[in-house]
Order: sequence, then structure tokens, then C-alpha cells
Amino acid sequence: MDVGLFSQYVMNGLMLGMMYALVAVGFTLFFGVMDIINFSHGDVLTVGAFAGLATYLGLVEIGVSWPPAQVAIVLAVAIVCTAGLGAIVAKYLVLPLKDAPALNTLLLTLMLGTVLHEAIRLFYPLGANPQRFPSLLPTDAYTFGNFTLRIDNMMLLLAGTAVIVGIHLLINKTKLGLAIRAVAQDSETAKTMGINFTLIVLITFAIGSGLAAFAGILHGLYYSEINFAMGLLLGVIGFSSAIVGGLGNIYGAIIGGFLFAALQTIGVLAMPFASAYKDVFAFGVIILIMAWRPTGLIREKISERV
Amino acid sequence: MRRARSLLASLLPGLVSAAGVTVYVILLMSVESQAGVVALLAAGVLAVLAAARFGAVARVARAFAEQENYLNLMVILAVLAVTGFFYEDHFVLLMVTTVIVYVIACLGLNLQFGYSGVLNFAGAAFFGIGCYTAAVLTMNTPVPHLVVLLAGGVMAAVIGSLLILPVLRTRSHYSAVVTIAFSLLFKIFLEVNDTLGGPQGLRVAGMNVLGWEFNDDIEIGEDFEAAFYVSYAVVGLILLVLAFALVRRLERSWIGLNMDAVRLDETAAACFGLSIVRWKITAFTLGNFLIGVAGAFYAMMIGFIAPTNFTFGDSLILVSIVLLGGMGNPWGLVVATVILIIVPEKLQAIQEYRFLLFAALVILILLFRPAGLLPRQLRTYLPGWQPR
Amino acid sequence: MTSIRFKLLAAVAAVLMLGLGSTTSGAKEKVKVGFIGPLTGGTSANGLGGRNASDLAVRLRNADPNAKHEYELIVLDDECKPNIGVQAATKLGANKDVIAAATHYCSAVAITTVDIYHKFGLPIIVWGAVLPAITYGNTYKEVHRVNGTMINQNETAAKFMTGLGYKTWAIIHDTTDYGKGHDEFFTKYVTENGGKILGRFGVTSDQQDFSAELTKIKSLGPDVLYFGGLTPIGVRIRAQMEKLGLKAQFEGTSGIVSDTFIKGSGELAEGVVAFKEGAPTEKLPGGKVFIDQYNKQGYGEPPEAYGAFAFAAMNLILDTIEAVGPDRKKVREALNKVDGVDSIIGKIAFDDHGQNTIALITKYVVQDGKWTVWGESEYATGKRKLKGM
Repeated sequence: MDVGLFSQYVMNGLMLGMMYALVAVGFTLFFGVMDIINFSHGDVLTVGAFAGLATYLGLVEIGVSWPPAQVAIVLAVAIVCTAGLGAIVAKYLVLPLKDAPALNTLLLTLMLGTVLHEAIRLFYPLGANPQRFPSLLPTDAYTFGNFTLRIDNMMLLLAGTAVIVGIHLLINKTKLGLAIRAVAQDSETAKTMGINFTLIVLITFAIGSGLAAFAGILHGLYYSEINFAMGLLLGVIGFSSAIVGGLGNIYGAIIGGFLFAALQTIGVLAMPFASAYKDVFAFGVIILIMAWRPTGLIREKISERV
Repeated sequence: MRRARSLLASLLPGLVSAAGVTVYVILLMSVESQAGVVALLAAGVLAVLAAARFGAVARVARAFAEQENYLNLMVILAVLAVTGFFYEDHFVLLMVTTVIVYVIACLGLNLQFGYSGVLNFAGAAFFGIGCYTAAVLTMNTPVPHLVVLLAGGVMAAVIGSLLILPVLRTRSHYSAVVTIAFSLLFKIFLEVNDTLGGPQGLRVAGMNVLGWEFNDDIEIGEDFEAAFYVSYAVVGLILLVLAFALVRRLERSWIGLNMDAVRLDETAAACFGLSIVRWKITAFTLGNFLIGVAGAFYAMMIGFIAPTNFTFGDSLILVSIVLLGGMGNPWGLVVATVILIIVPEKLQAIQEYRFLLFAALVILILLFRPAGLLPRQLRTYLPGWQPR
Repeated sequence: MTSIRFKLLAAVAAVLMLGLGSTTSGAKEKVKVGFIGPLTGGTSANGLGGRNASDLAVRLRNADPNAKHEYELIVLDDECKPNIGVQAATKLGANKDVIAAATHYCSAVAITTVDIYHKFGLPIIVWGAVLPAITYGNTYKEVHRVNGTMINQNETAAKFMTGLGYKTWAIIHDTTDYGKGHDEFFTKYVTENGGKILGRFGVTSDQQDFSAELTKIKSLGPDVLYFGGLTPIGVRIRAQMEKLGLKAQFEGTSGIVSDTFIKGSGELAEGVVAFKEGAPTEKLPGGKVFIDQYNKQGYGEPPEAYGAFAFAAMNLILDTIEAVGPDRKKVREALNKVDGVDSIIGKIAFDDHGQNTIALITKYVVQDGKWTVWGESEYATGKRKLKGM
């Protein structure tokens, strides 16, 4: 395989991995503070993408046509929308079920996801159809043999990296991050230390859901298309990535996301005439990894309290 | 004499409730108009709320606990009554039998995570293994169809055993991902491979036991004709009774006790010398077996199967049934299955909006009945024994 | 038994009447007809379009003072899943009041349910599913189909494209029967016409990312990328081709001939070619009326590619019932004899398998954001050029 083609595959894998990683980080954050799996996460991403698209259409209506401003406003509105949605979900659906079995929350959030994407399908104008997402970034491309490097893809990749680094700093270097980590480690003790548990949970859900909106817009800009069902598989893959990486650990989530993307890309390369099997391959490897490392690639440090 | 009277008194709440539910189901199945369905559903919810408010639910539960054998018989009779009532209505019988099949499959899941705490999000995949086994065996081999049912179960258990290692090594959310991955993998595998019919699916022969052709309408004499689904409903009911008895016996036995211990606290159970591995494997394999049998039966009834029947979403429906019914309570399963299978079908009138409403309904149940509709009661060590 | 049952039903009916009030006009005999299609899930856009079109046929008929009967449309959702389809088909089939039905967009569902229609003797007309075996895999007198099969479509497509001078193809198809069938028949006809397939890739119908497949295709360097699948992933593939700098001509099947494809792809849709059975709706007698009436009713969703077929199927059913009366057997016999009936999709003639044999295939190309018939486009006159020409 020539270098150009190889670079193209790497680039594809990186973009895909970035998206998975962003989704997986959300799962890990929720798990950290509440020990729950929020399966509506994928559909929150869809909501974010559609909120962004609606904002863009609104901006065009009122005559804002300078792309950088459009990108900024689209992102801001989408993130605010889903952050609010995330906080509402946490307050009214997740926190009331705090003492119920984990499975209940899982099912509840799944059903919430169904409500979200069905609502988009039914109530967004022509929501059952795929929607065109505008190209808001410069589309210049450089070609090196078989490798096409597009400026917009490069920018998306950098933006994604920046967001992940930002989350890392937020969690590890700020007071808020300290509080989140404290709640994640032991919510009882955190409460006695004067941390407002409910507030921290709401903020974490808002951050995680905001990330989902970012990933949704990223998805829209990268693929130029969004649809009501896009969150379903993305949610499951994001969840699998978070688990494979090791729940409650954002590095694990990132590694898991890129690993999954790599597996899918390798699946196509390794089986050129059976490319449809690439997901079978990827999920098969995931099962094997789980058998080998039952608590994820990066193991949870805390031992079980009996 | 007095004993007979006291027996009757203790049976009464159960009898009344069984009869009431039977009539209700018959009404629900008969109603076609949208307003009628909505009105009936609302009436049902109100009746249950009122019954709970005045303590009737507790009395019924107590009656079931005390006089289980009689009342089990009553429930069987109730199902037969519904079947008989609709003897010539294909569609209703199809729905009744579908409910029966789902209950059998959910009994399997119940063994897995209701009793032993082994999460399984690939219920539809194991169900699908049973279906595909039935398709391959009935179309290509002369294997008797009752054996096909068993084969479906065995196949599901065997393929399930591939997952035993990762399932045993992982816990809670981590083990969830193993079965979720399997569920997705299974469906994609079916879609892309051609030998098993690909996305097109496979045809399955109708059931035939000792020359009794299930797919023909039943004709007795000149003017009595019953829908062929009556045969399926009856055989389904027999299977259900067997599965139910099996699960109940297991639950009541020391095996069930061990499984409960494993679920509630693995560490403590291990300290008392219980083999966690053994009971988890037993529950997982036996559960998959039941699911596979249900699948094989369903495939022969439906006559055609395709990968879209076995998606992750379908697995979730199975999990929802167990959860909504009340984990570990077989009776809860029956109630939850009726709600999850019949209600969406009855809501066909609202067409594209039905999933939205259905999901919202489940959310409401989870918020207001977090332990399920009929939570599992305390273990009854002796018949009629009541914790005080 | 029956008397108890009757009493119960009468009681229920009485209760419902009280609540609802009855709305029957009483003048005409009420006749029920059915529609089944995917109203939820990924292909629901097509199902809803078909539903609306059938509904339109019924509404127009009920508004017609010359109609002998008053029609009621029973709509059921098959979710594009065979097991749900079986339930819906059983429901219609077992309901003796339903005289005939227009059914199914998804081939996997249609192939499952034909047995049931046969069992219950319910005459149906398939309005969207294209798998050949639905009509040709059996000899059921109940089953008819107004739309063509994928065989005709691909024969025309292969001849046309090789005729333009294209030599090499790469194929992406979805792994449903629809995509696989297109792959099979297109490969057959294109090889017969001297073309060469460089590679083929199966993708699942809910896949989002195609960059790995497309990168591989880029390295193969075909003249044309043939896509056998439906609009949602067609839109994604077209957009991702651009991102990866894949310059091949994009050729689709009937599954992407929809306004949604153009809306979803924007300027990238320009120059995409595709083939669809039947003449363009607006060119046919009555087609214009259909579009006008459809818009007038204010449905929430557009008719999509197969709306016209659903309309034609339902209209044919209503015509037949008007002619022979509401009786399943008579309707079945009459439908079997349909030969050269005018409709908004052109003439309809059923062969002995109930398949519409008028295999008119129209070639389309997207020009200025519209599906334009090839012969009338600027591409045919040479004013614009397809890629690689």
C-alpha cells in the first residue's frame, strides 16, 4: 500500500475515533458521578446536531452569512440546548432513580432516547429524511497522490483535540473538576466535605451532554448529513468504547474510541471482499478484549468495598 | 365443610381477579376503534390504581401465594377461555400465542438476571438462534418438530457458551457490553452472510406433530371451523406451563436459593462455599435454552424469519418486560408482556406516533413503580407461609 | 358461545357508540380497504409517502359522487420487519370486511407475507417492494405488483452506461435484499455489455461512515461508482465521496430517485444518474392531477419515489371494487385480468404471476437540483458533461 493511501486511512480512522471518543467521554463522566449508564446520550447528540441545523437555518433567515460567526453561534446554541437537556434529564429522570437498580436507569434512559429521536422524526420538518448539513468551514483540499487533505477535516480534528484537552484540564486542574472527581470517588464523603452533590451531578450531565452536541455538530460538518437515527449506533459504539477503555476514566474512553475506529478501518482493509463483516470483526474483538481485561484496558483503581 | 369454605374464601380474591382480567383481555382484543382502546386502557389503569388503593392487590397477591396450585390452574383455564372465545379469529390468536412465546423467553432471561444476576442484553440474539435452527432443521431435514424445539434450545445454549468466559469474568456494566456487542454482532452477521438467507431471511415449515398439520384450519364436523392458530396457542400454552413449572421449581429449590445468594452478594456467597461459576453458568445456559425453545416455536408459527427480528432493540424489549414485570417474579412477566406486546399493537390506530407514546409509557412506569409492576415477594419456604 | 360473544360485543359497541356518536352517512355501503407500509423506523419517509398517496386515492374516491361505495382505509405499520409484517397481514387477512389492500415497501416483509394473503384469500397489490421473488417465487393469484422488479431496471442501466463509454465500476450495495439484488443483476448485465466490476462492498443500512470503503474504491480508480441502496445512505456516500476526493461518476438505483436525495446532497447531487421504473409522474395523464391534489390535501410528508405507485395500486383496487363489487374472490379474478389499464404510472398489465409487465424504465439525471429525464437534459445534448466523459 502506498503512503498516500495509508495516510488517508489513518486520517479517516482519526476522524472516526475522535467522534467515538467524544461520545465515550460523556458516558464515562456520567458513570463517574452517578454510577449509571445514560443510554440517551447518543440521541442527545442527535438533538444537538438538529438544534445546530435549525440554528443555522434561522441565521440564514435573518441574514447572518459570515461563516465563522455561523459556526460559533451554531455551536453555542446547540451546546446550550443539550446542556440544558442533560441537566433536566439528570434532575427529573436520573436523580429520582438514584436508589433503584442500575438496570432501571439504563432502561429509562434508553426509552428517553427513543422519545428524543422519535420526537425529531415526527416533529422536525421532514424529520424522517436525512438532512443536509451545511459546509461552514473552508473546503480547500490538498492532494498528495492518493491522499486528499481537506482543511475542514483538519480543523475538525484540531477542534476535537482541543475539546478533549479542555475536558482533561477541567477535570484535573480546576476546583469544579476536583469536586466532580470527589463525587465520583465517594459521594457520601464528598457531601460531608460540603460539596453540593445535586449541583455537581447536574453540572456533569450538562458538560457531558454539551460534549454530545459538539460531537453532533462535528458529525454534521464532517459527513454533511444528519438524520434522526444517527445517535443510535454512535451511542452504542461510544458506550462500548467507554467500557473497553475502562469506565470512569476519560483516558480509557479516548483510547476505547480510537481503538474502535481502528478496528473498523482494519476490518475493511483486512477483508477487502467481505467489508460488510467489519462490524462483526470489531464487536468480536471487543468481546475478546472484555474476556482478557474484564474491567477495561485501563483498570479501575478502587477495589470493591464489601 | 368448614375447610372447603375457608379454602373458597382464600381462593376468592384470586378467582375474581383472574376472571376480571380474562374478561378485560377479551374486551381489549375485541375493541377495534381508537377511542374504545384508549377508553379501555384508561379504565384498566384506573381499576388497578383503585384496587391498589383499597388493598385488593395485596389480597390477590396473598391468595396467589397461599393457593398457588389452584390459581395456577385458574390462569391456565383463563388463557384457554380467551383462546376459545376467539377460536376463529386468527389475528387475536396470533397475538395470544406471541405473548405466550415472549413469556417463555422472558422466563429464561428471568433465570439469568432475575435470579442469578447475569446480565443478558442479547435475548433477541439467542431467540434468533432458536429461530434459525428451526428454519434450517425443518426445511432441510426430516427431524421431528418436537425435537426441533429442543434443538433450538440446545443450539442457543451451545452458542451462548462461547460467551461464558467473558460473561463470567466481567461484572455489571462490563458484562452488559459483552452481550450488547454479541447482540449487534449477531444481527450484522446474519445480514451479511448468504448461507443463512442474508437480510432476506429464511422460510420455516409449519409445525407438524405426528401428522397433525398445525398450519391447517381445524375442521370438526360440518360447521365447526377454528383458526389454525388454536393449535399453536394450545401447544404454546403447554410449553409455557412446562417452562413456568421448571422456573418455579428451580426458584423454590436449593438451586434457586444459591442463585439468589450469588446475585445478592457474590463475595458473601463465595465465602459460604458456593460456586459462583457453577451457578452463573447454570443460569446462563438454562436461560438461553428456554429462550432458544421459544424462538424455535415462534419461527415455526410465523413461517418466515429475517435478521430485522433480532435487533438490539428487540433484546431491549425482552429486558424491559422482565424489568417492568418486577425482576424475579414470573407472574409479573405475564402482565408486562401483555402490556408491551398487546398495547403497541392496539395502538396501531395512532400509527407513526405509537413508539413515542410507548416509550413515554415505559418511562412513567419506571418513575412510579421502580420495582416493576408486580415486585417479587419474599421467598416462601413453605406453601402458605407468610412473613410476619 | 356465540350468543355470549354477541352480547358482549354488543355491550362494548353500545358503550362506544355513546362515547363517539355515529358518523355513518348511511347512503352508501361502507367498504374497507387496507394499506401496509413502514410508518416508523429508517424507511418511514417512503412508508408515510405511500400511506398519504393511498389515503389520497381513497379521499378522492369518497368525494366522487358517482362512486358506488364509501371507502374506509385501514392503515397498518409493518416497521419494515417481517414478524410485524406477519401480524399486520394476519390482521387484514383475517378481517373479512377488508376487501383488498396495497401493501409493503420492504421486500423482506413482502416476501414473508405473501403466504398469508394467499391463505386468507386477500387480494393485494404490492406498491414498493422490488424483489423479483415476491411475484415470481409463487403462483398465488392474490399477489400483484404495480412497480417493476430490479431486473428491468438494471438491464436498462447497464446498457445505457456502457453505451456512454464507461468501462469500469465499483459497487457499493446495502446488504438488504434490495441492495444485494441490484448488485447481482447489475453485475450480470454490465459484464454482458463489456463492462468490468473492480470491487464490490456490502454496507449495512444503518452505517454512517463509508470512508474506509470509499478510500479503497479510490485506490481502485473506477469510472463509475454504482450504488444499490436507498436514499439515506446514498446521501451519506455522495457527501463522503467528495470529502475523500473520489472523482468517479455516481450512479444510483430507483432507491435514490427522491427529492430527499437532492435536498440531502445539495449541490453534490448535480450530475448523479439513476433509473426508475415507470414514466415520470408529471408526464403522464393524471400525474399532474395527482401532484396537485396531493399538495392540496396538506400532508405532512412528500409522496417520495413510490407514492405514485401506492396511489396507482390503491386506485386500481378501488376501480376494481367499483366494477365487480366488494367481494374478495371477484376482486382477485378481476385484478388477474388487468391488462393495459391507464394509471398515473403508465399502463398496467399483470402477467400470470400478477407482475406488472409494462417495463418502462426512465433514465434520470440531476440537473439544477431536479431529477430530469435524461433525454431532456443538457447532459444528453452535450452542453454539460458527466464525470470522466
